[in-house]
Amino acid sequence: MSNQDDKKKRTLSITKVIDAPVQLVWDAWTNPDHVIKWWAPPGMKIDVIEHDFRVGGKWKYSMPMPDGNLFVSEGTYLEIESQKKIVTTADFKPMTEGVELHVLFEANGAQTNFTFSVVHKTEDYAKAQEKMGFYNGWGSAFKRMEAVIKSNSK
Amino acid sequence: MSTVVRRDVFQAIADPNRRKIIELLSRKPLTLNAIAEEFRISRPAVSQQIKHLTECGIVQVEQVGRQRYCVIKPQSLVPAFLWLEQYQKQWESRIDSFEKYVIQLKSKK
Repeated sequence: MSNQDDKKKRTLSITKVIDAPVQLVWDAWTNPDHVIKWWAPPGMKIDVIEHDFRVGGKWKYSMPMPDGNLFVSEGTYLEIESQKKIVTTADFKPMTEGVELHVLFEANGAQTNFTFSVVHKTEDYAKAQEKMGFYNGWGSAFKRMEAVIKSNSK
Repeated sequence: MSTVVRRDVFQAIADPNRRKIIELLSRKPLTLNAIAEEFRISRPAVSQQIKHLTECGIVQVEQVGRQRYCVIKPQSLVPAFLWLEQYQKQWESRIDSFEKYVIQLKSKK
C-alpha cells in the first residue's frame, strides 16, 4: 500500500463550495469572535482560551458539557498561508487525539472552494472504515438495527 | 447472551484474518472446517481466531445436529459502527454550521 493510499484511508474529508468570497470565509474561520459562533454544536457554548494565530502558535477552546465537565479542544498551528491554507495539530480529549486538521480555501469568483480534512494518525479510523466495507453487504438489516438501538437508548 | 465482553471490538477487527472470517460468516454460518478450507493458515490458528471472536461476542458457536456452526452476531459490531457514523456526522454538522454562519455574515454586510 502506498503512503498516499494510506493517508487517504486515515482521512475524513468534507468539500464544499461556499457562496461567499474567500476573504469572508477566511475571517469566519480564523477570527475567534466568529469561531465562537459556529464551532460548538447547537445549544452548546465554547470559550476561546488561547488563539495565537501564527505558525507554532497554540489554540485552545473549552466547551462546558451538560454533566459539568469541560471538553477541551486544542492544537498548534503548523502551516498558515493567508486565504489559502491552514494546517494544525488537534487534540479533542479524550476521544480523538493526535489528529491534523487541514483546511483549504480557494477563491472561485464570488464563491470559495472549501476543503476540510481530519487526518488521523492512528489506524482507528481506517479500521472502522474497512469494517464498514462488509457492513455494506448487510445493508438494510443493519439500518433497521441501528434505528432500534437509537430508539432504545432514548 | 451470557458472554462477558472482555475483548474490544476494534481489536477484533484489527486483524485481517479475523476480518476475513467475519466477512465469510456475514454471508452464512459455517463450520470450523469450512472456514479453515478458505485459509492458508492452519486449522488450530483458525480455531484460535474464532475463539477470539467468540470471546468478544462477534461470533457464537451453535450445535446443529453433529455439526458445530459459527454464526455471526452483528449487534456486537454496532458500537464500532455507531462510533464511525457519529464521528463523521459531528464534523459534517460543524462544517454545515460554519457555512451557515458565513452566509449569515455575508447577508449582514
